[in-house]
Amino acid sequence: MAYNKEMADVENLDTLFLAECKNLHKRISCDFIGVALQKFHHPDVNWPYVCGNTNEKYKHVTVRYGKGIAGKVIATGSDMLISHFPENILGKSTDYPIMLAERLVSAYAVPIRVNGVPKGSLLIGYRKEHPIDGDQFYKVKEAVENMEEFLPSYFKN
Amino acid sequence: MELKSSIQASTYIIQAQEEEIKRISNELHEGISQHLYSVNTGLEFLHSALENPDLKSYVKELAAQLNRTIQEVRLLSVELYPSSLSTLGLVAAMKSYLKQFTSTFGVIIHIDTIGHEQFLSESNQLAVFRACQEALINIAKYADTSEASLRFIWKDNILKIEIEDDGKGFHLKEILGNTRCKGIAAMKQRMAMAGGDCQISSEEGKGTKVSLSLPFQR
Ligand SMILES: Nc1ncnc2c1ncn2[C@@H]1O[C@H](COP(=O)(O)OP(=O)(O)O)[C@@H](O)[C@H]1O
Ligand SMILES: [Mg+2]
Repeated sequence: MAYNKEMADVENLDTLFLAECKNLHKRISCDFIGVALQKFHHPDVNWPYVCGNTNEKYKHVTVRYGKGIAGKVIATGSDMLISHFPENILGKSTDYPIMLAERLVSAYAVPIRVNGVPKGSLLIGYRKEHPIDGDQFYKVKEAVENMEEFLPSYFKN
Repeated sequence: MELKSSIQASTYIIQAQEEEIKRISNELHEGISQHLYSVNTGLEFLHSALENPDLKSYVKELAAQLNRTIQEVRLLSVELYPSSLSTLGLVAAMKSYLKQFTSTFGVIIHIDTIGHEQFLSESNQLAVFRACQEALINIAKYADTSEASLRFIWKDNILKIEIEDDGKGFHLKEILGNTRCKGIAAMKQRMAMAGGDCQISSEEGKGTKVSLSLPFQR
């Protein structure tokens, strides 16, 4: 029975995350939203929840630690802004697979923490160059706060 | 005469670069990875010896971070130099690279092999491997497609490879006239150095096909 309860929690979590993504999508009308998250009881990070995707590539992507926008955000615990991909980026464009996969030009990502430790990242992106300012920062942080509230149940053990 | 010596010079540069890359890859794998493993063992020991639950969970988090770093160093090492070329051969090394490629870019590559794999020298294997890598990465960067195919055709005295996508394609003449096409230029040069050839065909909206060929002695 414990197993079933766990499964129910995970399903519930899916609904919560997707609702949070869709809500944010509406509020800031960006082109793409993605949540990168460490897998349940596993060190790998992938993209379980997305919104506004144009293909299914994200399903096969494993985020590399310290690489790309989500990997860097998780490794450093700080926000990251890319204003005009692939110009002025650190490293090669191939270090940013989600930007390539969804053809994003501007993006902003913040860490999602559990007990202060970054376990994931919320990313918003645009396919044309788009300024990302205080209003979006604020709404993204708000969504992250909500996510951080229901996330601990997923990682508790 | 001048042309010939400039080709020799760039051949030398490519070889020197490959040797350096191989050295760094080895250093990462044999040196740094091993050191990180021993730190990891130390952390495991600390974790079991500690009683304070806060410290315990802190050490556990450190160990998790260290494990991700070990994994990343391993990936970086393989990315720099596929040591499986000499142990497992070209096709197996390519298959293992494709797994890595798909989990990085989300692009699925259908591989298929016709005929039996033949012996190639390590430098020729590497030339083919690097050319395939360049073609595949171009697909991830520019083709805007979720799938592509890679075919090895082993004949009596020649290996042919076709890498095909049905993505965006590009205007060959326009792009190749551009001096910034270092990837394609290097791909052609590597294949030429190995005694083979590299042809590219592409059409806007129709996709791209890279054809490599490499004669060999049995
Ligand atoms: N599979 C492909 N699909 C679409 N465009 C491609 C493909 N391969 C190459 N190109 C085009 O050819 C150009 C040159 O490629 P390359 O010489 O590898 O340089 P780079 O990868 O550094 O841009 C690319 O900028 C791109 O416009
Ligand atoms: Mg290239």
